[in-house]
Amino acid sequence: MSSESDEATPLRRSGFVVRKERFYGRLIATCAVLTIAVTVGIVLALSGQALSFWSQISPIDFFTGTNWSPVIANDYGVLPLVSGTLLVTVFSALIALPTGLAAAIYLSEYASDQARSILKPALEILAGVPTVIYGYMALVYITPFFKGIFPSLRTFNVLSASIVVGIMIIPMVSSISEDALSAVPDSLRQGGYGLGSTKFDVSTKIVVPSATSGIVASYVLAVSRAIGETMAVTMAMGMSPQMPYFPNVTQNLAESGQTITAAMVQIASADSLGSGPTYEAMFALGMTLFAITLTMNVLAELVRRRFREEY
Amino acid sequence: MATQETTGDQLGRDAALRLQQLKGRLFEVALVAATLVGIVSLLALFAQIGSDAFQPESASATWFLVYLGTLVAPTAAFTLYARRRPAVRETNALAFAAVFGGLLLSAVTYVVVESLSPYDVFIYAAFAAVPPAVVVAYDRTTDGWAYTGPAIPASILVGIAAAALLYDVVRGPIGIAAGWIMYFGLVTVPAALLIGTLTASRRGRRSGIVVGGLVAGGGLAVAAASIVAGTNASLLVVFFSLFAVPTGYVLWRSVRTDPAGRVGVAGPFVLLGGALLGAAVVSQFGIQNPDTFLTPNLLLQSWDGLRAGNAGVYPQIVGSIVIVGFMAVLAFPVGIGAAVYLEEYAPDTGIRGRLATLLEINISNLAGVPSVVYGLLGLALFRRTLGLGTGVVISAAGTLGLLILPIVIVSTQEALRSVPDALRQGSYGMGASRWQTLREVVLPEAIPGTLTGTILALARAIGETAPLVIIAVATTKYSPPSGLFGSATALPLQIFAAASNAKPEFRHGVVPAAAVVLLILMLLMNATAIVIRNKYARET
Repeated sequence: MSSESDEATPLRRSGFVVRKERFYGRLIATCAVLTIAVTVGIVLALSGQALSFWSQISPIDFFTGTNWSPVIANDYGVLPLVSGTLLVTVFSALIALPTGLAAAIYLSEYASDQARSILKPALEILAGVPTVIYGYMALVYITPFFKGIFPSLRTFNVLSASIVVGIMIIPMVSSISEDALSAVPDSLRQGGYGLGSTKFDVSTKIVVPSATSGIVASYVLAVSRAIGETMAVTMAMGMSPQMPYFPNVTQNLAESGQTITAAMVQIASADSLGSGPTYEAMFALGMTLFAITLTMNVLAELVRRRFREEY
Repeated sequence: MATQETTGDQLGRDAALRLQQLKGRLFEVALVAATLVGIVSLLALFAQIGSDAFQPESASATWFLVYLGTLVAPTAAFTLYARRRPAVRETNALAFAAVFGGLLLSAVTYVVVESLSPYDVFIYAAFAAVPPAVVVAYDRTTDGWAYTGPAIPASILVGIAAAALLYDVVRGPIGIAAGWIMYFGLVTVPAALLIGTLTASRRGRRSGIVVGGLVAGGGLAVAAASIVAGTNASLLVVFFSLFAVPTGYVLWRSVRTDPAGRVGVAGPFVLLGGALLGAAVVSQFGIQNPDTFLTPNLLLQSWDGLRAGNAGVYPQIVGSIVIVGFMAVLAFPVGIGAAVYLEEYAPDTGIRGRLATLLEINISNLAGVPSVVYGLLGLALFRRTLGLGTGVVISAAGTLGLLILPIVIVSTQEALRSVPDALRQGSYGMGASRWQTLREVVLPEAIPGTLTGTILALARAIGETAPLVIIAVATTKYSPPSGLFGSATALPLQIFAAASNAKPEFRHGVVPAAAVVLLILMLLMNATAIVIRNKYARET
């Protein structure tokens, strides 16, 4: 008798409890769906104003124009800004990609547990410092230092901006690459040693190639972060958009420039009216930036999934 | 002939081997150098900033010797002593957390409440606290009421709504009371209740009531004494309730219950006493102080673009704290809810499984969206669509909240994933429902991990500048925000704005000092996260 009721009661919940459970489940699902709303919100916010901008300024002029001077000349050519962004991205990648990969190899293959427990958080700090402080340090300490070596350096220049952006994206490369390197199974390393390989050979010819997909993904994410970086490049590189110098590539480092993000900051801090083509141009720039970084992030994810070695 | 050949071969092999070894060694050195180059350059830059802000070269050598003797040497000696004894080290860490956490909490509470007006904060807090208390009391008397769970948050919302409706009626009569009474209600009463409950659970109901009464009475006595002495009663009440009482409780408990680690309690007092003693010696003998920019002025004054000695970042610090605090209130419930859905509720297969995969991809993409783009979203959402004013606290907090949402979700997901499945199965086996399992078993287990991740997200948010520039938050303001709809400014914005000031006492003085303040704020948050993580790691 009593055993029967014992079996039956816990399974049959009162209608109120069932409704309560369902309510909490829906509430939590709403929170999750809100994240989709954020993405939709970004796309709507950007595209609304950007389309209104492109109905006044033709997209062809926007994407092929070589002069960005929204207030004075009413010129909305985005190429000088794109080239500014590219310069910073390329030079900072030259700093961060090899350094980050080397750090990842060291942490994963060579470092003792104690060294790793100190160096890993120390590297993470590089990404945690506010970018406005990076920008200040580039402007006030790095630029004068290099000016002592190269007197032709401008006050605002690509070199210092690239250095600080490079420093701040190192951990992006090192931590994701290190995860990929550590995921390579030990049997591959042991096999290499069994064939008489040195540690150098095992690291460079077995472990790194096995982790290529993770390393490439980390590179793409780091580059995407460099493209979206704002305050450091605004403060260190200046506000004068210009096309790059060819073929004298290194001269670009000494010159000032303006990135897409810096142009947005300039418009936002100057234009408080909240209307007009210049204001809408900010959204068009944001749309361009969003499209670039989204493509790169999706690309990184695809690389990681498609070329992942299954062990 | 044959032997010669072998030796030649051997030599060649030896040389090749040595070459290999050299190559390996050089490679390792290069790897170490690459690992260190970023860290070392950042340290060098920080040293520059610190030196500009502190101006150590302007102090006399005696100044350094005095502080070495009173502050550095005793603290170092005590730390070394504590390091070798685990019990002492633990008590020492606890004492440090209690003393400095209490000091910081009191200062932040006083400054924020003062800028928002203690009367308003008290009205809203009282209206929000009374209804759930009534619900809990009803639950106690009726021996478990089915609606208690959902009634508590609902009653808080009702209370806040009632406060908003009745604000105009209540504000007048409440305003007659002195300011310190508001603080007494806001901090002393909760502190007394908390300490009373803790004591009651350990030593019985009667001592709980006595201790709680002592705390409340002590608060009144402190206020009375400071009114007689003519000092700021509100400030003293806050420091009594949030610093003296909790610190006293923690230290007293350590001394009573932990004979092995008892000595560790002295740690923070060695540091504070050393600093005070050093200051006394320096002023007594007229020793040359450094001409530092890290002065009380910097923390208590508003900005002055002309005279560096007068420039301070008080409104900016308060603005940053209010924005980030309100951002946490907005972002954490949503972030934790989304993570719970993805980890605990979402099925793996079917249409809803596919939706969950889509959500995961979406969240990882959101984490990669540049922060300026969030600024544009904030601009369109809060200014265009909701029609809020330019640069108000609520839109700044909302924008940053959207920005850190993916970080909160991912770290909470990790924390939830580390809760062993056996616990869930055990809870289900005892007949608990999904929500009960979540509330009573899974979330309590995941709280430390979640807290660690979310505090790190806060630290990231306090340094964010670009989205605030885009939504046109003012760079320089001369008063802290007056409320959620008041206009605010933030510390990183002031650094951005002042970077163009080329005067040397700004460029190599006040602005680096403001940067040091920002870095210290971040460091404190990160240290809190690390303390929580270590405590959690020890317990498991």
